[in-house]
Amino acid sequence: MARLLKFNIFRYNPQDPESTPHMESFVLEETDSMTLFIVLNRIREEQDPSLQFDFCCRAGICGSCGMVINGRPGLACHTKTKDLPDEITLLPLPVYQLVGDLSVDTGSWFRELYDTVESWIHTSKAFDPTAQEERMEDSMAEAIYELDRCIECGCCVAACGTARMRPDFLGAAGINKVGRFLIDPRDERTERDYFEIIGNDMGIFGCMGLLACEDVCPKHMPLQNQLGFLRRKMGITALKSFFKK
Amino acid sequence: MQTIYTDVLVVGAGLAGERAAIEAAEAGFSAICLSLVPSRRSHSSAAMGGMQAAMGNCAKGEGDCPDVHFADTVKGSDWGCDQEVARMFADRAPIEMRQLAYWGVPWGRVVPGKGTYYKGGKLYDKEEKEENRGLINSRDFGGTAKWRTCYVSDGTGHSVLYTIDNVCAKLGVEVHDKTESISLIHDGVTCFGAVARCLRTGELRVYLAKATVIATGGFGRIYPGTTNAVICDGGGHITALNTGVVPMGNMEAVQFHPTGIVPTEILVTEGCRGDGGTLLDVNEERFMHVYEPEKQELASRDVVARWMTHHIRQGKGVKSPYGDHLWLDIRHLGEKHITGKLREVYEICTSFLGVDPIHQLIPVRPTHHYSMGGVRTNKDGKAYGLSGLFSVGEASCWDMHGFNRLGGNSLAETVVAGGIVGKKIAEFLQGAEVTFNSSVIDAEVKKQQERIQNVISCKAGTENVFKVRTAMQDALFKGANIFRTKEGLEECVATLQDTLARARKVGLKSNGKGVNPELSAALKIEGQVKMALMLSVGALNRTESRGSHNREDYPARNDRDWLTRTLAYWKNENDDMPTLAYEAATEIFHIPPGDRGYGKSEIIKADTKAEEKG
Amino acid sequence: MSVPLTANHKSLQSHRFDGLLDWAQMLSGAGLILFMWAHMLLVGSVVLSPGIMNAIAEFFENTGMAQVGGPLIFLLFLAHFALAARKIPFRLEAQGTIWEHAKLLHHTDTWLWVIQAVTAMIILIMGSIHMWAVLSDLPISAAKAAKVLQEHSGWFLFYLALTPLVHVHLGIGLYRIAIKWGFAGRAERAALKRVVTLIVLVSVGISVLALIRFWFMAV
Ligand SMILES: Cc1cc2nc3c(=O)[nH]c(=O)nc-3n(C[C@H](O)[C@H](O)[C@H](O)COP(=O)(O)OP(=O)(O)OC[C@H]3O[C@@H](n4cnc5c(N)ncnc54)[C@H](O)[C@@H]3O)c2cc1C
Ligand code: HEM
Ligand code: HEM
Ligand code: SF4
Ligand code: F3S
Ligand code: FES
Repeated sequence: MARLLKFNIFRYNPQDPESTPHMESFVLEETDSMTLFIVLNRIREEQDPSLQFDFCCRAGICGSCGMVINGRPGLACHTKTKDLPDEITLLPLPVYQLVGDLSVDTGSWFRELYDTVESWIHTSKAFDPTAQEERMEDSMAEAIYELDRCIECGCCVAACGTARMRPDFLGAAGINKVGRFLIDPRDERTERDYFEIIGNDMGIFGCMGLLACEDVCPKHMPLQNQLGFLRRKMGITALKSFFKK
Repeated sequence: MQTIYTDVLVVGAGLAGERAAIEAAEAGFSAICLSLVPSRRSHSSAAMGGMQAAMGNCAKGEGDCPDVHFADTVKGSDWGCDQEVARMFADRAPIEMRQLAYWGVPWGRVVPGKGTYYKGGKLYDKEEKEENRGLINSRDFGGTAKWRTCYVSDGTGHSVLYTIDNVCAKLGVEVHDKTESISLIHDGVTCFGAVARCLRTGELRVYLAKATVIATGGFGRIYPGTTNAVICDGGGHITALNTGVVPMGNMEAVQFHPTGIVPTEILVTEGCRGDGGTLLDVNEERFMHVYEPEKQELASRDVVARWMTHHIRQGKGVKSPYGDHLWLDIRHLGEKHITGKLREVYEICTSFLGVDPIHQLIPVRPTHHYSMGGVRTNKDGKAYGLSGLFSVGEASCWDMHGFNRLGGNSLAETVVAGGIVGKKIAEFLQGAEVTFNSSVIDAEVKKQQERIQNVISCKAGTENVFKVRTAMQDALFKGANIFRTKEGLEECVATLQDTLARARKVGLKSNGKGVNPELSAALKIEGQVKMALMLSVGALNRTESRGSHNREDYPARNDRDWLTRTLAYWKNENDDMPTLAYEAATEIFHIPPGDRGYGKSEIIKADTKAEEKG
Repeated sequence: MSVPLTANHKSLQSHRFDGLLDWAQMLSGAGLILFMWAHMLLVGSVVLSPGIMNAIAEFFENTGMAQVGGPLIFLLFLAHFALAARKIPFRLEAQGTIWEHAKLLHHTDTWLWVIQAVTAMIILIMGSIHMWAVLSDLPISAAKAAKVLQEHSGWFLFYLALTPLVHVHLGIGLYRIAIKWGFAGRAERAALKRVVTLIVLVSVGISVLALIRFWFMAV
């Protein structure tokens, strides 16, 4: 006989004046290769069609389905019930605006981030459609991709104590985004320019090295190394600009 | 009610939509993209393989040029494509790849020196030239004469989409995510924008625009199993077909992939079989060698998918709570190979199935993968039937894919077509003077409000939307699958008509307040069933086999009668059947219909005498 | 049940000094670490013989380092407090948030930070008392220390409590400096943790031995 799994799920529909935040339990029989994607869809289709949650690719690549699973932020589509105890608690990601139940608004948060860190290549060159592409070493391309892999699921931010205490903190994902452009030879911004963005307590100096980001990131982004690298780099820039002034 | 004005409204913020919006924004127009999810979560991000463009930089791509790419594309389409469009596409693709590099895509680059590669399980040597060091590299993909697929590791779609979205942020292209377009505002001649539902609050909003673009991607979710994301549900197509004047092109042209994993239907690469993996049935016995003694597991995609389905129908499938499936066996390839060259597969199996492919079998079955059909447009991306309406990307039937699209060609299509169509939109806007007719707008809003009220109050009935959806999906799965017959399709159409009646009686179980997911599903179920009908009626009528459309009762490709494109209209909202029309597949022939050079099939030539029209 | 706190990074004003303050925080911490190790050797040398301790103390005394250095250390101590306290949530709401967060997350490094912040507040009070007591009654000698401890077992318990608090705070601080500034990367993290644990255990061991030695020393 398969296990009976009990899911305690956070419920609140801010658009319904009668709704109050509470936990609700659902029971499902476990099936082979069951993931939380299957679980939540079955609950919606069989038990409560108003249950809100976000999935998109359901393959661990789009970053839609971040939620707090038994205390830890993670991707729900990526999580097998086989690895979980009989009782499973699901909460929406903190930090982000709640849309309803398990669904949060990561989109607005990240969009603001793009503007804040100006997450695009800054170049004075114009594109010439008749010219051959500019050359780049393959190893450089791979290094950039390594930092470009982040799927913006928000788990690192939700797991970060600093981000929980300081609403303006850019989080590991935000700081890493700057790192991605900093190493890109096509971006003409200087270290001073990047310093303006992350050389402060909203950025790299706000990070307290809690490393929950590193430990929950479902894509295993090299966040620890990246944060260390940028703190040194920005720390040196801070000294330089202090003495040059 | 909030009303938002913009020059261009792009419904869809995937690669195609955002690329088109950039073009309009660069020409000085305001652009807003709508999306169900944050733009970067659009399904374009799931494409790993790469995009085709004849760069000709790598050793195995030497001598490649747009002409060769064009020829591959036409053959791949089984001569179903518009050759003028395919030509434009092939010519423009390399420039677009360079533009992407300029914008920041970290393309894989050529590394000079000796190297090796596998083909058909055998090892070969190659040598990259020093003079090409650092130029954009390409990898090998099916159906191409040269190595032509530009890539970023195993995350091409992801990287390109992030880059394009960055450019949008830079240019001030607004993305209104968690916003679902539910209908177009039009007067039967001109499109004025869309009515959308906010997926943060559930409120309706009106978007008024001089040009509206449907770039909503594929609609795989009308099938029960698909590699497509859960948001690929055809919502954008529905708004177009509900106008009654905009036709869908070639809805019957649907691509299936042999190895989607069960239960989550995530794609595992063809490389598994390429490297020697085998397919097993319920008795853990091979079967492909019985059906295809020569090529066995390595027959072409459509052929393997067809036999797998056949075998399951024979009762040889493995029963599971998620339906019948077969096994993919790569255990004999060994740990080193699996965690090395097939690392992606290894990770998918371990993290989604809890299956260790080194010691266990992988449950697979042929799975819906891509929709060649969609909103029919001309070569400028203008939708048939309404002025001011455009479509681009997988949502459209621009028609460079005909009846079968090549791997790597659709991701490339999104940016190439996005660029071309975006320019045309900018040109269109230059002269456009639109007066928004407020009575048309008010009427559309009222209609949508009533529709929502009726579903919530169960005015027409209390059919459960999820059950109706399952009925539709099962009907398509049974009747309009990999191979099709008259009987199967007739049954499918009959079931779908019954399902349509049920869809019209859907009512909510929950209260429908706010961002109610049941309401979202209910609002599009009728449209989805209509699309399913367009697909199955189109397939029933098309009495030939072309590309991915395989009729067991008409196995030959019939260029005499069917070198055509199906146009499906839903003329009146209350009709029970679509209205079909046909047009020539292509006005201009650069390459006359001929043998594709792979996949043996009988051809009825265009110049043979017609005896009876099927 | 409360709806989770939400965040937004609205405007990003330039905080030019944040970088320098972070340097200062790290350096003050590092300085205190070095001091505490030296301090541990001074006090710990009593284990070998009270004579050595007296000799070292005398050296500091004669060179004037105790008189000047003592108050300087006290200043460093206060400076470190002022710098590091920027990171401690003093608002009740934020304290609740971080506490809830740590409890839910089951994450060692997050707990370590909570421990660091809590030990910090205790050290601030106990350290100040201690320094006041020692510095207002120079010179330092093993005999004097032993006398105080044996006569007032309260002092004994006071130090017995303070020692582990200080070394745990110090150890976590050391780990964090290495992590934050990238001296230890992903590959070194586990090893670093083991080394730091070892340092903390040995330091607490030496300090407790010293206390025991004082306790049993003939006065
Ligand atoms: C698993 C997988 C792998 C693939 N790999 C490759 C590959 O390697 N190479 C290749 O060439 N092709 C590949 N493809 C195909 C290719 O990825 C897609 O065809 C292409 O990305 C589609 O892009 P798009 O911009 O048209 O649509 P999408 O990227 O799907 O974007 C659609 C957009 O429309 C929005 N939308 C949808 N409905 C509505 C609505 N009602 N209102 C508002 N917004 C709406 C969505 O939110 C989204 O933003 C793959 C496909 C799959 C499924
Ligand atoms: C002998 C005494 C002390 C030593 C050796 C010491 C050492 C350290 C070290 C090395 C760090 C790491 C610095 C960094 O990460 O930049 C640190 C951090 C910290 N210290 Fe101390 N400290 C001492 C006393 C105190 C006191 C009295 C307080 C009082 C409030 C305090 C509060 C903190 C806090 C809150 C942090 C964490 C800062 C952060 O995470 O960014 N410490 N300490
Ligand atoms: C100005 C600097 C300081 C001087 C001169 C000094 C001196 C001493 C002396 C002489 C002792 C032995 C016991 C005694 O005499 O009562 C002692 C013990 C101790 N001191 Fe300090 N101290 C200083 C600063 C600090 C600080 C900043 C801390 C930490 C916050 C600290 C923590 C301790 C502890 C925990 C003990 C217990 C004994 C042990 O380590 O074994 N001291 N100190
Ligand atoms: S860094 Fe990792 S955890 Fe953070 S958003 Fe990116 S993928 Fe998610
Ligand atoms: S969890 Fe937070 S504090 Fe820094 S190391 Fe990670 S961003
Ligand atoms: S649904 Fe895309 S990551 Fe989970």
